[in-house]
Amino acid sequence: MSSLYRCSLYRRLLWLYPSSHRREYGEEMTSVFCEAWAATEKKGSVKRSLFWLREIRGLVRGALAEHLWFLTGSHSWILAPTRRFTMHSEFRFPKATPILMALILAGTVLAIEKAQAISASLPHTNPPVGPIQPEHLTFLPPVLLMFALTYAAGLAGWAILFALKRSGIHRLSQMQGSAGQ
Amino acid sequence: MQSLPLTEPVLLILLSLAGQPRHGYSILKDVEEMSDGRVLLSTGTLYGALRRLLDDGWIERFEEQESSRGRQAYRLTAGGRRNLQTEVSRMKHLTHLARLRVARKET
Repeated sequence: MSSLYRCSLYRRLLWLYPSSHRREYGEEMTSVFCEAWAATEKKGSVKRSLFWLREIRGLVRGALAEHLWFLTGSHSWILAPTRRFTMHSEFRFPKATPILMALILAGTVLAIEKAQAISASLPHTNPPVGPIQPEHLTFLPPVLLMFALTYAAGLAGWAILFALKRSGIHRLSQMQGSAGQ
Repeated sequence: MQSLPLTEPVLLILLSLAGQPRHGYSILKDVEEMSDGRVLLSTGTLYGALRRLLDDGWIERFEEQESSRGRQAYRLTAGGRRNLQTEVSRMKHLTHLARLRVARKET
């Protein structure tokens, strides 16, 4: 494979990046890659393989970091090798909330089933109380509905805060851009 | 803006730009040379770091008189140089402290 082919392959791989990043740095990155490859292709096959491994890993990690930044407005310190100083909202949707809510729901359902079992096993005297029939469990659908509504409200709130945060960052970067010009 | 501990690749990129403006490939080679071949940056890693440093105002694009297509030079800004000096002072203090503690342990 010729150098030209490898450069063209790298240029195609840059499609992994967000389009804005590609527009701004795509040509430069391809040019740097081609220079680096020209210096490496004369070396042994091990060095050439290591070069490709490094480049592919860097490209995938870089593309992931850029997409993450594009989506969330923040950098992942696992993927990105530098720190960034920006204004961020301190609000974080607590990740434990859906888990806790699911646990509470599971606990409620289990408690209902247990109550059914106990009720069925107990001897009933005056007034006789029969086992709870499914049609008597009229409270279960509202409980499930309540959980579903709470989830929906939580998600909607989170989406609104996320949208506000994103739009704020964009406005700030636009302001900085126009101030720089 | 305050200075924070930097990762080694970023510190080496900033040190590379501290001497003179450089373009991408020149930074890659300089980082490799400074670290005795230990830190080999990929193009993706380099441009991820350069983009963030540009966003933070630590570096800026430098217009060369004879720049070929696809070769953009970068240089440190005054703020970036100040932050780099702070980081180097922090490391110097740490090295001094380590030397003292290690010497005390050996005696």
